[in-house]
Amino acid sequence: MKRLLQSLLRKFRREAEWSEELQAHLEMRTEWHREHGLTPADARAAARRQFGSELAALEALRSVHVRAWLESLWQDARQSLRGFRRSPGFTAVAVATLAVGIGASTGVFSIVDPLLFRSLPYYRGDRLVSVGFLAPLDVNEFQLGAPHLDWQRRQTVFQYLTSMRPGYRCDLGSPTPQRIFCIAVESNFLKTLGISPMIGRDFTADDDRPRAPLVALLSSGLWKREFGGDQNVLGKGIDVDGEPARIIGVLPNSFEMPQLGDADLLLPEQLDEAVARAPGATVFLRSFARLRDGLTIQQARGGLRPLFDEYVQHEVPAQLRSEVRLVVRSVRDRQIQDVKLASWMLFGAVQALLLLACANVANLLLARSAVRRKELALRAAIGAGRGRLIRQLLTENLMLGLLGGAAGCAVAWALLHMFIAISPAGIVRLAEAKIDLRILAFALAVSLLSTLVFGLAPALERPNAEDLAGWRYAESSRTFFRKLLVATQVAISLVLLTGASLLLKSWRNLEAQPLGFEREHLVTASFTLRNQEPKIQAVLLRELETRLREIPGGGVVALADSIPPSGAMHARPYSNMRIAGRPPVATNGGMVAFRWVTPEYFRAMGIRILSGRAFQESERASGESPMILSESLARKLFGNENPVGRQIELSADGRWSKVVGVAADVKNAGLVEEGDPEYYRLRMNDSLPDRTNVAVFRTSLDPETLTRWIRHEVAALDPSLPVTVQTMDARVEHLMERPRLVSVLVGLFALMGLLLAAVGIYGVISFLVAQRTREIGVRMAIGATPRDIALLIQKHAGLWTAAGAIAGVAGSMALTRLVRGLLFEVSPSDPWSLLAGLGAVMIAAALAAWVPSRRAAKVDPAIALRSE
Amino acid sequence: MKRADHLQGSLDLLILKTLNNGANHGFGITLHVQTVSEGLLRMEEGSLYPALHRLERSGLIKGEWRKTENARRARFYSLTAEGRRRLAMTERSWSDVARGIQKVLEFV
Repeated sequence: MKRLLQSLLRKFRREAEWSEELQAHLEMRTEWHREHGLTPADARAAARRQFGSELAALEALRSVHVRAWLESLWQDARQSLRGFRRSPGFTAVAVATLAVGIGASTGVFSIVDPLLFRSLPYYRGDRLVSVGFLAPLDVNEFQLGAPHLDWQRRQTVFQYLTSMRPGYRCDLGSPTPQRIFCIAVESNFLKTLGISPMIGRDFTADDDRPRAPLVALLSSGLWKREFGGDQNVLGKGIDVDGEPARIIGVLPNSFEMPQLGDADLLLPEQLDEAVARAPGATVFLRSFARLRDGLTIQQARGGLRPLFDEYVQHEVPAQLRSEVRLVVRSVRDRQIQDVKLASWMLFGAVQALLLLACANVANLLLARSAVRRKELALRAAIGAGRGRLIRQLLTENLMLGLLGGAAGCAVAWALLHMFIAISPAGIVRLAEAKIDLRILAFALAVSLLSTLVFGLAPALERPNAEDLAGWRYAESSRTFFRKLLVATQVAISLVLLTGASLLLKSWRNLEAQPLGFEREHLVTASFTLRNQEPKIQAVLLRELETRLREIPGGGVVALADSIPPSGAMHARPYSNMRIAGRPPVATNGGMVAFRWVTPEYFRAMGIRILSGRAFQESERASGESPMILSESLARKLFGNENPVGRQIELSADGRWSKVVGVAADVKNAGLVEEGDPEYYRLRMNDSLPDRTNVAVFRTSLDPETLTRWIRHEVAALDPSLPVTVQTMDARVEHLMERPRLVSVLVGLFALMGLLLAAVGIYGVISFLVAQRTREIGVRMAIGATPRDIALLIQKHAGLWTAAGAIAGVAGSMALTRLVRGLLFEVSPSDPWSLLAGLGAVMIAAALAAWVPSRRAAKVDPAIALRSE
Repeated sequence: MKRADHLQGSLDLLILKTLNNGANHGFGITLHVQTVSEGLLRMEEGSLYPALHRLERSGLIKGEWRKTENARRARFYSLTAEGRRRLAMTERSWSDVARGIQKVLEFV
């Protein structure tokens, strides 16, 4: 900034000077005319006439200077290109190094930019927060109807506080019957986000009153798909889950839900206060808010605390209080929760890589300047000004930076496409990752900065006569700087390697862990029944079950409301389980998950029954309520006692259940998280535990054939019922994708980093050897063996590598702690990962130093002594 | 381009030659050329300064602010070593051309 001002100032001063020069001419001419007998006025007029337009003259001066500047720039550029052609090795290595560094950092920046930096599509999106309770029930904060209404009235920290019901599938009756995503939102929802409909109007408080006539806002996608983008759509009637609704508006193209769910249709929430406040009511909501101006998130949380405490004190059973927390966090954090750490780590890793690349380029430029000092001194001696020389070097570095930057953009583009190709579906905002102008600006800034900063050092040095003669030996400060660079490189690449080996180890642990069920030959089909009378649904489900079981070759077929290894499942507090004849259980036991299954479930999934037995088909009509505990729940409830035959009260329906067996634990909360203990209940013939159901098939049929059969059977029953068929392998793989992606990328960066560090070491040692050829010659002449010489050189390399390694170990210990959240069953201070990284760095360093040290050992003293 | 070069070449030559007599400012140069050529040559004053600056950028002349005998501040230009060399060269080639043209014109 200061320099910009200075250069502007200089420019003004120069123009003022030019103008003064022209003015002086005019005045002298005027004087001359007066001396030759004209009146002062006539003299002035004559002078002006003679001179012509002063402005035109100034303009001409300006263009003279610009042209001269461009010409010399062109000259510099040509000279640099000639220089590059003279040393293709240097150019290739420098450009390749820059391309790797800039390419990787730009590619990753383009991926994390929409996640971490680009603004959200709302008015001042950084002021939006997600508000609610965090309890073991859900990984995200949620809100309930009654406290929401209270808080809305009494809170003082938000400008707006709004809510929505979690999204649900609904059936659009017209124009084309289809299942879409409907979201019910409060009337101030869009106002809170700072969005207004593209056409039509927003919801009003009237629309939001319970039992008001239903109105709807279309997403622009649905509007285009179903209504052909018709402007006259307003006021038209549609049919939502059998209810008539009127279209009042269309959402903008850029609209997205703050929790990033799908939304085809927005409906008013129509929260009924009487229903929300009824005893035992749980109206489940998500709540968002806009911070009042000048308040931070912490202050808002503090301001909400009394309301939260009051609610918890009155409404939450004492045994659960310790497990409920108040959450107020930014919408961005809410969106990227599980990729935030991974994004920052990737970003950090590539910045480290970029740093390595810059250090290498600096090293190369320094080495080159040592060689070129002679040339520069020569040019100075024949009259090139110092400014001119500096500019020449600057142009050269600029060109190098631009070449590297261009190559880097190509690398970034390739990397981004590779990333998109191998990354799992559902990575937040990946679709928005692209190389746009901002990214290009980032790349340009990085490439220019890296070359200019490091390229300037040699330019600032004053060339002198000693250089001309090539006699300079006093190199100590400069080689010190170069060795320091190398040590830094070693340290950085060690940190990268340690991080990568930790991640790889964690990935391997993840792959190898037992899931509790057999994933092979397992096909799953999930479907959610249409929103209609429970009785009709139960009949439909029963019919569907029969049809699915009759598929030829379908193998063992079972039905459940949820299946491992991930996805939503029913859960309840541990503390309200009661064992017959026992005191109440501990109060802070967290949650217990449960699912409703058919008898074949355990056989189909390959879950072992550890004691007792599985459910039996005959029990389904018996009216009894048998249950099976997971191993961990059995241990938690009964310790080492045998639970089979014990009675447990499930307060949900107030009936006692008999434990008939214990099943092995399965992974329920994804591959990484430790799931809650669980129990199984038997699906009765006429019951409908959930609209969402999953059928599992343990089959020898190939999945495609089975998929066709399943679709056929479902369509025969209800053609509009969408069904998702997936093999269990695919479901498990899907969960592996993200950790794999992160470890592969970081591993790749670590390898590139190691390569760059090796190139750096190689460069410095080669330079050292070249510089000390004469000294080596002398040493050999007085009796040193080639082995001694090689050792001497290796010792140099070893010293600085060791210094770097020590710094790297310290850095690793400090930094790997930060990625703890990404690791699975690996401690961040895992010594083996550190050792693996250390070993790799040492081997690479030894190899990189070995080549030049061999060259040193082969020096012929006779030639070396004559060399200068 | 070529024709402009030719004209520019003559303007440059006049400037360099004038400055060969000692440092002078722009107005001084026009005055000198006009007087010495006995009014035959009149420099276009507006285009004199771009020429001066161009010559300065190419290192043939050097400018500095000084006082005139009337105690007025003006930018004085003087020849550099490079400029002197260039003058000698151009002078020679120019008089060759002039002599050649003279001969052609004198041929009856």
